[in-house]
Amino acid sequence: MILFDDVSYSYSPGRYALEHINLNIGEAELAAILGENGAGKTTLVKHINGLLKPQSGKVTVSGIDTKDSTVATLARKVGLVFQNPDHQLFAETVEKELAFALVNFGLPPDEVSRRVDWAMKEFELTQYRERPPFMLSGGERKRLALASVLCYDPQILILDEPTTGQDSRQKTRLAALLKRINGEGKTVLVVTHDMEFVADFIPKVVLLSKGRVLAEGPAEEILTNRELLMSASLLPPQLAELSWDLALQRPTIDLEQVVLVASKLVGGPQR
Amino acid sequence: MAIIDVQALSYSYPDSPKPNILDVNLTVNEGEFVLITGPSGCGKTTFCRCLNGLIPISYGGTFSGRVIVDGLLTTEHPVYEIAQHLGLVFQNPENELFCTTVEREVAFGPENLALPRNEVRSRVEEALGVVGISHLWDKSPEELSGGEQQKVAIAALLAMKPKVLVLDEPTANLDPLSARSVLNILAKLNTESGVTIILVEHRLEMIAHIADRCAVFDDGRLVLVGEPGEVLYSEAVERMGIGIPKAVQVAKRLALNSKLGKKPLSSWDLAEIIRGASDDPL
Amino acid sequence: MKVLYGFEYRRGTSVIHRIDPRSKMIYVILFTALTVYFVNPLVLLLVLSSSFPIVLISKITSRWAQSIKGSLFFIAFIFIFNFIGIVLATGSVYDAVISGISMSIRFIALISIFSVFFLTTSPEDLTQSMVQMRIPYDYALTFNMAMRFVPTLSREAQIIMDAQKSRGLEMEKGNLIQRIKNYIPVLIPLIISSFRRAELVADAMESRAFGASKKRTSLYVLAMGKRDALFILISVISFLLLLSLKLVFGIP
Repeated sequence: MILFDDVSYSYSPGRYALEHINLNIGEAELAAILGENGAGKTTLVKHINGLLKPQSGKVTVSGIDTKDSTVATLARKVGLVFQNPDHQLFAETVEKELAFALVNFGLPPDEVSRRVDWAMKEFELTQYRERPPFMLSGGERKRLALASVLCYDPQILILDEPTTGQDSRQKTRLAALLKRINGEGKTVLVVTHDMEFVADFIPKVVLLSKGRVLAEGPAEEILTNRELLMSASLLPPQLAELSWDLALQRPTIDLEQVVLVASKLVGGPQR
Repeated sequence: MAIIDVQALSYSYPDSPKPNILDVNLTVNEGEFVLITGPSGCGKTTFCRCLNGLIPISYGGTFSGRVIVDGLLTTEHPVYEIAQHLGLVFQNPENELFCTTVEREVAFGPENLALPRNEVRSRVEEALGVVGISHLWDKSPEELSGGEQQKVAIAALLAMKPKVLVLDEPTANLDPLSARSVLNILAKLNTESGVTIILVEHRLEMIAHIADRCAVFDDGRLVLVGEPGEVLYSEAVERMGIGIPKAVQVAKRLALNSKLGKKPLSSWDLAEIIRGASDDPL
Repeated sequence: MKVLYGFEYRRGTSVIHRIDPRSKMIYVILFTALTVYFVNPLVLLLVLSSSFPIVLISKITSRWAQSIKGSLFFIAFIFIFNFIGIVLATGSVYDAVISGISMSIRFIALISIFSVFFLTTSPEDLTQSMVQMRIPYDYALTFNMAMRFVPTLSREAQIIMDAQKSRGLEMEKGNLIQRIKNYIPVLIPLIISSFRRAELVADAMESRAFGASKKRTSLYVLAMGKRDALFILISVISFLLLLSLKLVFGIP
């Protein structure tokens, strides 16, 4: 579905943001693009909707070479939700904000209002229909930004650092939403450095560091690999740390597993 | 000795009918490390602004109750005076740093106080040293990473020599390694320099074991205050949207609290207890 | 907006970088006056060339060149309009061409002189020089902040454009009116964001005792030295020499 073929990109001569990236993301995958700040995560995903074109190599999305396509065309298939909702909210009303992308894509008016209504209900924004977006609270604005992208039902959804400033309950809700969207057959990519969120909710990880892909695979494997995480300048998730501190034979990020093993160590039957 | 005394504090922003914080009472003693947490939008940021006088002086709105900082009533002293006793660090360093070099940034505060030039210089050197960024003195804040920027912000406030440092989610935009680095500096400031720290934070697993007390806000009210162990192991906290450290979650499941009377707050504490218990099974 | 690139301060260690902004201001004022005073293209070329040694000494050649390149677009406009105007007025193509060339050189000279100033003067030194010229600190600081946040704003504008493009906004599509309307989804978030930032920066400043004292200290103080005296002397002498071309020799 998304293919990176030996892609390299640099913002300024001599300093590479992406080096020889090879990546194959299939349909209906739910994966995290994980890495420290400056690893190249945002640069990578900007190649998927064509905002950036590779300086060498090729990026193919659903069979289309991104070099042969405009951002507007790719955006129809690839929804990119930016980290800061305030970088996109501009309309006079929430309704118009939600309709923005739909109108840009040339959808007929009745289709537009159908989808806008759907989005408002789905994201609990109906009572704000006539309100200007900037009057909503921080969390509501984040919801609105996400809603305005999901509104046009892209096949691929990418979220850039969606968990910053979110409390644990909001993160759980977000994870449930992402799982549901993924369950409908969409590819969902989460760009993040939030190890806990990935450990708790995302099954697959693409690990980036200094512009290169260090590893790609199940979260359970990658997030319990101490050397790998250290070379990526990342802190391991808490349960991985706990696994090591308890000298578990098979370190894990699964809470139930840890409890099971720990209770055996503590001795006797569990409560 | 209470360095901060908040009495029956309630506040609503000018255009808002609903109070953002309601009837908050809290005392903080000098040298304490107080961790403040709670779900998003529950009033933590508003509370921070009430502590240094930005609310109500700069923000207006409806304010009732009293906030006394190092003996000063915030409604009766200008923000620039309170700023010499209590420093406030914000979430996003991009909006906090506005000079072209780190040195000048850190000098801004002391310059405002009209201190003699050599005093300004020595304060800058000291602040940079304490935070461990002396090597960055000549850099432009724009060139720095998020973590380094926050350290500059902290140094800039330390140069005012406040007794209290209040930080509003300083690690929100930082990656985990930078976050830990910044939090370690705060711990050091508290234990080595005796600075009172009030920290609003979501990443409890990194800092709960350092804090003396933990205060939980929910929907504008202060619903729980106590030692981190008490607070994080309470039932009430489970129902809120708070990121309870995994070590605590595991310990709760193992009922270590009731079986051993232990309330570990960090992975290694938990591991030690478990190893100890496995040598000496229950 | 590559033109702006040539006006952003970059740190350097050349003599010019270390000269007091006030000395450089004298140069700018004197030679800007000369660009207005003269009409003869050869003299204007001399005025323009006054900035060349400064560019070379301060090693800002590539950035300076960028601002000149960026202004070529405007120069084309100036030349064409001026040409049309003069031809219509006097019917003389020769006059029109000479006038066009003069105008263009004048424009480049202005860009060059100002570019040289801003490329070698840090916002803080500029602010400090204003304060030492007895301009109230608040005004000087406003100027400083504006300069300091220009790169931040341009970075944000880029992010916002990316975000809106990702929602299907096509900036180049449509007629002139449509293209102008296409900027609304970029300008509004930028403006709102700037307001929000202004509030937050104000909070941060207050939290560092801004306003505590009318007479604030300054970590660095600007002092003019021998280099400044030399620079000013050379500027004034060159100014007088060029001035004499008109006053003594009658060259327009």
